[in-house]
Amino acid sequence: MVDASYPVGGERMNVQERVERARRRLRAAEIATGILEALAVAGAVFVAMAMVDALLTLPLVIRMTAPPLAVIAAVARLSQRLARRRTGANAEDVALWIEARFPALRYALVTAVDPEYAGRVPEIEHNAGLVAFEPEVSRAAWRAVARPLIAVAIAASVLFLLPKGTVARVATARTGDALVALSLGRRTGNPLEPVVVYVAPPPYAAIATTVLDDPASVHAFVGSIITIDGRSVDDSTSTVVASVGSHDERITTSSGRWRLVFAMPVTTTAVRLRAGVHERLLVVEPIIDSIPIVTLTLPARDTIYRHPSGTVRLAADLSDDLGLASGTFEYIISSGSGENFTFKSGTMGATTFNGKVGALAVIFRLDSLSLQPGDILHLRAVARDRNNISGPGIGASETRTLRVARADEYDSVDVAAAPPPEPEKNALSQRMILLMTEALEKRRPKLNRSSLLGESQSIAAEQTRLRKRVGQIIFARLGEDNGAEESDSQLKPLNADSLLAAAARANTAKTGTEQEQQGDETPVVAINKPLLTAYNHMWQAATFLELGEPGAAVPWMKKALDALQVARAAERIYLRGKSRAVVVDVERARLQGKDKGSPALRTPRETLDPTRAARLTRFDAALKLALTMPSAAADSLLLLRMELIGRDDTASRDLETAANAIRSGKNATSALIRARRTLVGGVEHRNAIAPWGTIP
Amino acid sequence: MTPDFTFCTVQYDSGDWDSAPLVPANLIDSVARYTAITVAPTGVIVPLSSRDLFKYPLAYLTGHLPVRFSDLERRTLREYCARGGMLFVDDHNHDIDGVFHKTATEEIGRAVAPLKELPNSDPLYGSFFRFDDGPPATSHELNGWGDNLVHKQLMAVKTNDRISVLYSSKDYSSEWGFHPDNKRFLSIDNTKFGVNIVVYALTR
Repeated sequence: MVDASYPVGGERMNVQERVERARRRLRAAEIATGILEALAVAGAVFVAMAMVDALLTLPLVIRMTAPPLAVIAAVARLSQRLARRRTGANAEDVALWIEARFPALRYALVTAVDPEYAGRVPEIEHNAGLVAFEPEVSRAAWRAVARPLIAVAIAASVLFLLPKGTVARVATARTGDALVALSLGRRTGNPLEPVVVYVAPPPYAAIATTVLDDPASVHAFVGSIITIDGRSVDDSTSTVVASVGSHDERITTSSGRWRLVFAMPVTTTAVRLRAGVHERLLVVEPIIDSIPIVTLTLPARDTIYRHPSGTVRLAADLSDDLGLASGTFEYIISSGSGENFTFKSGTMGATTFNGKVGALAVIFRLDSLSLQPGDILHLRAVARDRNNISGPGIGASETRTLRVARADEYDSVDVAAAPPPEPEKNALSQRMILLMTEALEKRRPKLNRSSLLGESQSIAAEQTRLRKRVGQIIFARLGEDNGAEESDSQLKPLNADSLLAAAARANTAKTGTEQEQQGDETPVVAINKPLLTAYNHMWQAATFLELGEPGAAVPWMKKALDALQVARAAERIYLRGKSRAVVVDVERARLQGKDKGSPALRTPRETLDPTRAARLTRFDAALKLALTMPSAAADSLLLLRMELIGRDDTASRDLETAANAIRSGKNATSALIRARRTLVGGVEHRNAIAPWGTIP
Repeated sequence: MTPDFTFCTVQYDSGDWDSAPLVPANLIDSVARYTAITVAPTGVIVPLSSRDLFKYPLAYLTGHLPVRFSDLERRTLREYCARGGMLFVDDHNHDIDGVFHKTATEEIGRAVAPLKELPNSDPLYGSFFRFDDGPPATSHELNGWGDNLVHKQLMAVKTNDRISVLYSSKDYSSEWGFHPDNKRFLSIDNTKFGVNIVVYALTR
């Protein structure tokens, strides 16, 4: 019996067990190598990013990519290592790996671990077991691990040796870390650069604190707590002092930092920071808390009630940008007329809110308000927001009016005293002329021709006179001269067609805005058409009467009478609520006043161009400082910007961008070009030019 | 010939905008009586929501009842003032506790800007006639009607150092609400301050 076992680590193992043990060791070494290489790669990413940041001051968004980039690189390297099939995969591979290092085995080890021959040839296993390959396996495992271990050590050393905070800037990059570590390019003796600003909105806004790295301007709600942090320097001449607007503020110092805390003012204000020769400007701009938006949905429109009874439903939708506090319906009841009014007011449906949107709804009985005829009930919804700093902001809806009709209100129509309407007077005359003509026609057999002609022409004269009076009415309503018929008749014959044409002209004439023309006019033709018909028939009747043919004239006269009756029955339109306009005789009053005016001397206002030129001069002066004293240039631009806030928002934004770029050492060329173009001003597009006054 | 000045009365949806129908004629008469400004013999009535308002440098608004502008009226008024127009608002209630005062001042604040007291040294008081003591008192004030106060100052919104909204609690609408032919019965013409308003609106 051949003993194939071999003492390893205090116990005896056969050759298969020894090869399996070697396989596990080599596999462990493989995994350890992969992990170490992944760590080395991640470290290298941090080192590279940190060194580049130290030299170039990378933006936050790029610095924040360092951790995920390192993780991705490490995982990729580890995956690549583990996926690669190398030594330690199985016993045959390990046996071959050992055979390659111990040629004297002459494939005995491979044969011994081959499942087909395992245990069947003890001599071979015995010979294979005589070779001590474990030390070589251990050395190989250590050699594999040593190289990446050294790489990890080097990366760690470099990261450790980098300036304090440099690694943190890339490893834990976040907004507001400007003071945690400074890039090499920004390590100056100026305690005003960089600064970090914390904006804590007022509690009612329920908004989280925001952090800003080295801003040129800060936008915050009124009442927000603004905290500006900076880095103290060990120099007694560089003590930081600050003023907010015209007030000096106290600076606190601790743990190598200085801090300024103040409440956001209600107006745009400059925060001036000074430290020795250094000076810096920060513009704080208030964000206006919008007032609630209130929409009254019910009642949908104004209404007039005959009797003030029944129920009225009120509904309103409310919304606010930060949060609603309360809402209610307000009402005012106005009673009286003319110069005597009394008012009563109150609220109903008061509700409190917690969110940004809400709704109000109330149903009330009109009887409960004791409304009297003529009273007007004004209703609106009102909402208050939660602003307890500069508010509350109060928003109101449109107002609906519910009016109670007066029993006698239709007697209040302003109707001017006037003589009886003309058509009626004409109709009586026309009827008389008709009776006269019919009587003449009855007597006709008894009359000779000359008598008939004389009486007929006499009636014709009456008919013509009446026709002219109707014509006067028509011309007056058409807006032409009363004597138009007379003057026109000399030039061209007048008939119903030409009158209709004149009516059409009057209808299509451009209406002005004069007070007496404001009311709605019933179309001229609609009013005058019966009169025009009567006019034409009268003309025909008169023609027959002139010829001594009263019988032929009668049908035309009856038609004329019918037309006049139609005109008489036409609808009368009374315009309500429109008092008669007083037309002032301006020429009579011209300069008749006893007193003479003595206007005070006027001081001419500054024209627009010098103002613009002055701004450009300041801009150009700031531009000259941009290369030599960038901080001063940024401050100058910010001061100029403060003047433009609310006047020229485009220029204001461009100047802010330019100041930010200069402050952070970036290329500010394009921003400066835009800002200057805006200040110079180009072609201004307007919808229309005001017809009077100065150019705004 | 197009007149230099046409008196414009503002018509707004709420309230009794037409409560002082004789004021336009009276001021038109005064402008003709004291100045060489060519003036239209009648005034015009223009809705506050209409862009026709921009044709007139001075607009007159009065009433007794609560004033609530619609969004369109508010926008039009804001643009009118921005373009250089001047709105003259007179409280026909002559009562600072009255609903017209409360609602009109609130609406002006929403539409243009909050009203502030106008110093009695303002150029308005010397634009044609000199009023060294500020706005002339009205008989309604002196009789103790309305709020029983004699208001020492007017209120105004200024835009670019120019009055864009002039607000009076003195009830000039009642004071000037008579036919111009009756002016001959007055020993002192009480509408002269109206001339100052017109001249100011036309020249500033």
